[in-house]
Amino acid sequence: MPQKQELSEQESLRIISEMILKARNEFYETGVSALLWGSIITFCSIYSFASFYYPLPLHNYVWFLPLFAIIPQIIISINESKNRKFKTHVDAAMGGIWISFGIAILLVSLLYSSKFNIPSIGTLFLILYGIPTFTTGFARSFMPMIIGGIACWILAIISMYVSFPATFLLTAIAAIVAWLIPGFILRRTYLTFKNKHV
Amino acid sequence: MFKELDPILHSQLRLAIMSLLIGVKEAEFTFIKEKTKATAGNLSVQVQKLKDSGYIEVTKQFKDNYPLTTCKITNKGIEAFEAYVKNLQTYLQIQK
Repeated sequence: MPQKQELSEQESLRIISEMILKARNEFYETGVSALLWGSIITFCSIYSFASFYYPLPLHNYVWFLPLFAIIPQIIISINESKNRKFKTHVDAAMGGIWISFGIAILLVSLLYSSKFNIPSIGTLFLILYGIPTFTTGFARSFMPMIIGGIACWILAIISMYVSFPATFLLTAIAAIVAWLIPGFILRRTYLTFKNKHV
Repeated sequence: MFKELDPILHSQLRLAIMSLLIGVKEAEFTFIKEKTKATAGNLSVQVQKLKDSGYIEVTKQFKDNYPLTTCKITNKGIEAFEAYVKNLQTYLQIQK
């Protein structure tokens, strides 16, 4: 694009719309991750179902397969990220959603493993609290909420080892770290911005 | 009331860079070069001007032993771009 001295207003509008369109049309998704997880979960579900009617080998271990799929998934994600020359806000939000989903499903699997006979609803709530908190922080590159989301999941793990009433204390800590502290920071930033623009 | 258009943005290549960056979170230098069809030298100069104005952030790192430059629009850049578009619209309405 040559650098011109004079730029008409109409030309400015044309450049803006053309460039916005170019960035928007660049969207692509390889679909490899969706195919990988779609195949694995379909296979594991049908295998488990069939094992109730037919004597299938290793049916107790078939759900370990998704754990092993994490390794190719990491390789796929790294390769896709290398080939991507730009990142949209949607990409960042999607990344946050899938990371938090992965962590949450691992924690739910741990919670429902044979070690914990009576899964606590408080633990489930703590796992759920972490999802939107982490995703919001990740999408907006807002570190206090990323930390808040991770804190919820750490507290969820701790809650698996404590008795019922104590779960409320952990929930209180989660609410302070995940929402109150980031909330105060956001409020202060908002008020500073508002005062500057009055 | 018509305000003068921001001289930093009222340039073909700088406006193109800002229009690309307004729609994405961040973009590599090679992506901007490809989309604007500018030469690397010219693009570097204009990117530096936008950086000096505080409209974009430029991060330099290495990827697979090659230098990688990433550009990202700042809050100041978003405000300047929005003001530019608003002034442009006002100007075009006056012209009608």
